[in-house]
Amino acid sequence: MQVSDKTHDTKGLAILAAVCAVLQLALAPNIALGNGRANFALVFAACIALSRGGSQSVVCGFFAGLFFDLTTTGPIGLMSFVLTVTSYFLGSEQRNRMSGDFAASVAAYSAATLASTLVYCLAMLLTGNSSSVVDAVVFRAVPATFLSIVAFLPFAYYFSRVRSSSALSGGHFSRRGI
Amino acid sequence: MAYTGLGRSGGPTIGQNSKGGSGRQLIVCCAASLVMFTASCRMGSSSPLEAVRSAFTVVTTPVRYIGATVSVPFQGLGNVFANLTSDQESLSDLKAENERLQARNAELEESEQTAKRLQDLLNLKDSYSLQSTGARIISASTDSWSSTVTINSGSASGLTVGMPVMASNGVIGQIVECGATSSTVRLLTDENSSVSAMIQSSRAQGMLKGSATGQVTLDMIASDQEVSVGDVVVTSGLGGVFPKGLPLGKVTNVEKAAGSLYLQITVEIFAGTENFEEVLVITSLTEGQEATAEDISDADAQDTSKVVSSTSDAAADDTTDADASTDGE
Repeated sequence: MQVSDKTHDTKGLAILAAVCAVLQLALAPNIALGNGRANFALVFAACIALSRGGSQSVVCGFFAGLFFDLTTTGPIGLMSFVLTVTSYFLGSEQRNRMSGDFAASVAAYSAATLASTLVYCLAMLLTGNSSSVVDAVVFRAVPATFLSIVAFLPFAYYFSRVRSSSALSGGHFSRRGI
Repeated sequence: MAYTGLGRSGGPTIGQNSKGGSGRQLIVCCAASLVMFTASCRMGSSSPLEAVRSAFTVVTTPVRYIGATVSVPFQGLGNVFANLTSDQESLSDLKAENERLQARNAELEESEQTAKRLQDLLNLKDSYSLQSTGARIISASTDSWSSTVTINSGSASGLTVGMPVMASNGVIGQIVECGATSSTVRLLTDENSSVSAMIQSSRAQGMLKGSATGQVTLDMIASDQEVSVGDVVVTSGLGGVFPKGLPLGKVTNVEKAAGSLYLQITVEIFAGTENFEEVLVITSLTEGQEATAEDISDADAQDTSKVVSSTSDAAADDTTDADASTDGE
């Protein structure tokens, strides 16, 4: 039987949220590939969804998206909607997909990133914030997807290898997720 | 019995991970998102959400500033690695002294360049009689969907949405969001940017527009106007936002498509924002900086003559079917 350590879970979640928030505000603006920039809100939402899942990941996705919306000049509520839905689907499996399964978690995240970026791209086109679908996809969505995947790799490695082996060696007792 | 807890697999669990309740959260969060999205799109800058965004920008400005400051040394990272490999046979004290002097030299050069930029800004302010206030770029855009920068002045310094912003060598954009201590500036290269502009030499008037590719074009210049590569593009003052005559960029390519009413003109912007430098925010226009009635009538006449000309061309095409292909060229 697994017993959840809620105090530790909350602390871990807060630390991850703080790290991703700082990276989104301080690092993302300074590392660009063309017009594309990494989306650490998506990284945070995916980490929570893949490792914890359930209703908590949906709420985390919503607030991560809202945080992203507030840091940009785009419409508020769009990324929160996208990340809410993304978190729901990423967190739908009844297992921790990040534990000891680096490749699978990166693959799932990559697919989710591409899909969510394209949906966001489509919504920006429909709201008149972008005029050309080709330009929006080639010069914004693709570089943003690539950088967001690169940004996820250290997190995936940590949760799938470092955190996992640490737990197996007795560093953690009966804790799921972060 | 699962001991490590990292996995959600297997066994009964206590605590989290109940998928059963996530459907309700999904519906609530999606509904909240859609309400905010609708309000944001319909109400624009008058939405209460914009006030939240402004407050949020104020709160997060220090973090952005730290990020920009920390990233500056990494711009010369390549040089650091080159120096490390070339100095391996030097004496350690000489190497240390050399590095100290190089650092000092770089610092002084930076100070000199800063002083020069500030002097240029002052000269610009004097030469154009600008009512303006100084600011500094502290951060670039955080997302992939807009070309913006954040400056370290806001409504507390008297800034408002719509004010033009320029560097020492030309206009960089316009304020689109204004918090108490910081503002967001939409750059000329942004896809939604549009500025009334004209060719300095021929006075042909058009609209300078950005794009997703970062390329800036000068649209609405009639194909019978004279435009050459190298011509300087300046603000026309139409619209009453930008003062007339501020430098924007220079023409790098002019194409005249067959049958097109307007020229396709590519412009290279003078002012870059890559180095987080000082800028001037133009707070108000003085007399003589707005477009005159004559300028406005010239712009109208330019469009009207082109429309009349194209209408008569079309009529001629209708009556001379045999020569249609030749007219098209």
